[in-house]
Amino acid sequence: MSRVDPRVKLFWVVLCTSGALIFVRLPWMAGLLLFCLLGTFSFGADRKALRGRLARFLPLFLLILLVHIVFVRAGTPLLFIREYPIVTFDGLMRGATTLMRFFIILCSAAVMAGENTRRVLAAFSKMKVPYLFSFMLMIALRFLPTFSTSFSDALIALQLRGVELKRLSLVKKLRLYRDLLLPVVADAVVKSRVLAVVMEARGFGAMPRRTSYLEVRMTLRDWVLTGVLFVLGIVALGGYYFFP
Amino acid sequence: MTVSISVTDLVFGYQKGNFTLSCPHLRLEQGKLGLITGANGSGKTTLAKLLCGILRPSGGSVQILGQATSELSLGEIGRQVGYLFQDPSRQLFAGTVWKEMTFVDHLLESEQGTSTKKAQDLLDRFGLGELKSRSTYFLSGGEKQRLALCTILMGEPRFLILDEPTVGLDKQNRVILYDILDDLLREGRGIAVITHENELIERFAGAPQIKVERGQVSL
Repeated sequence: MSRVDPRVKLFWVVLCTSGALIFVRLPWMAGLLLFCLLGTFSFGADRKALRGRLARFLPLFLLILLVHIVFVRAGTPLLFIREYPIVTFDGLMRGATTLMRFFIILCSAAVMAGENTRRVLAAFSKMKVPYLFSFMLMIALRFLPTFSTSFSDALIALQLRGVELKRLSLVKKLRLYRDLLLPVVADAVVKSRVLAVVMEARGFGAMPRRTSYLEVRMTLRDWVLTGVLFVLGIVALGGYYFFP
Repeated sequence: MTVSISVTDLVFGYQKGNFTLSCPHLRLEQGKLGLITGANGSGKTTLAKLLCGILRPSGGSVQILGQATSELSLGEIGRQVGYLFQDPSRQLFAGTVWKEMTFVDHLLESEQGTSTKKAQDLLDRFGLGELKSRSTYFLSGGEKQRLALCTILMGEPRFLILDEPTVGLDKQNRVILYDILDDLLREGRGIAVITHENELIERFAGAPQIKVERGQVSL
């Protein structure tokens, strides 16, 4: 299934992420999460990378859950301190729904990250997306790891100057990240300018039409899968609105 | 007792790919210089990153002053070992040369008087005294490298690991760098330099060469 046409994967990503934004009720979100997990494993996402990302985002996820639990006061109170309700049913449900939403987005990103860039570009080209735009999108996506490497290099260099990050207070950490962000962004801008010059020097955009050896073709399996996904999407949307 | 970084039965492999680095024994002592040489992709930078704790060994151990790097945080290692990246821009964060020098002290709110004097002394010594208010983005390659070295020395580490410090430097800047290395050795710091440059190898001809070939480290 990992060799499924990138357009099918893109369609699946659109369905998952749209569902994640539309659904607010927990059972629907849980169903979507199952559907998303099934796709993630079938479409050959890099599970190790996904696990790593989940581990990295775990503190943020827990913070989001905590914020919902603390600030959503509606619903049946579940836990009290003296007479003050600390955890309510609605807060817990909303927290869980938001967590699932983030999880679905991460899984969708993992599936697209596991796809070959050239195949995605070829798929965009078949979808009549101008090459310039699709190329820019792919370059932007490629810049994310570069950005993250620059940032982690800066943090390593700083620690090797004797700074113990764990001992810094939250305020100092935030101030530090703000200070580090500027050179990292500046570095990314410099790299993008160099890349633009290099691309131009190689004749990028010199011809009105770009040809490619690589062509992606929708097989019967891809069409069937797209059809199934389409029907599932319509049924889920209809079900969500008509059978609350 | 000689203070050192010592390596015993070190094995390291990246999660992706099948590259493995192994080093049965290595010792870097204070006041001495070691040259890490080898072809591109042989594992020199990996070895350097293991020596300063950026990478942690899969097997064996790297010990700094008798303590395994796996038991130390990067901040703790940083107080003993300084690392100069191949591209010094990666370790410069502040807007101006002066702010860069006092960046860590500001962050940690250290005693301003002492750090100011130390920063000024280092800049003067490395020929950057006149550039205090210059933006770090507008420094030349050689100046950036000297500044990066100055910022490392602000923490007074006992060891320095320099990753190809002569790359991109003209003759004049290379000579300045060699003189700086001589000074640092005289101060008693241990230095490991990754290099391809014959000139540097000849300049420090008496220094032991640590050869890295396809991940195998030998003296």
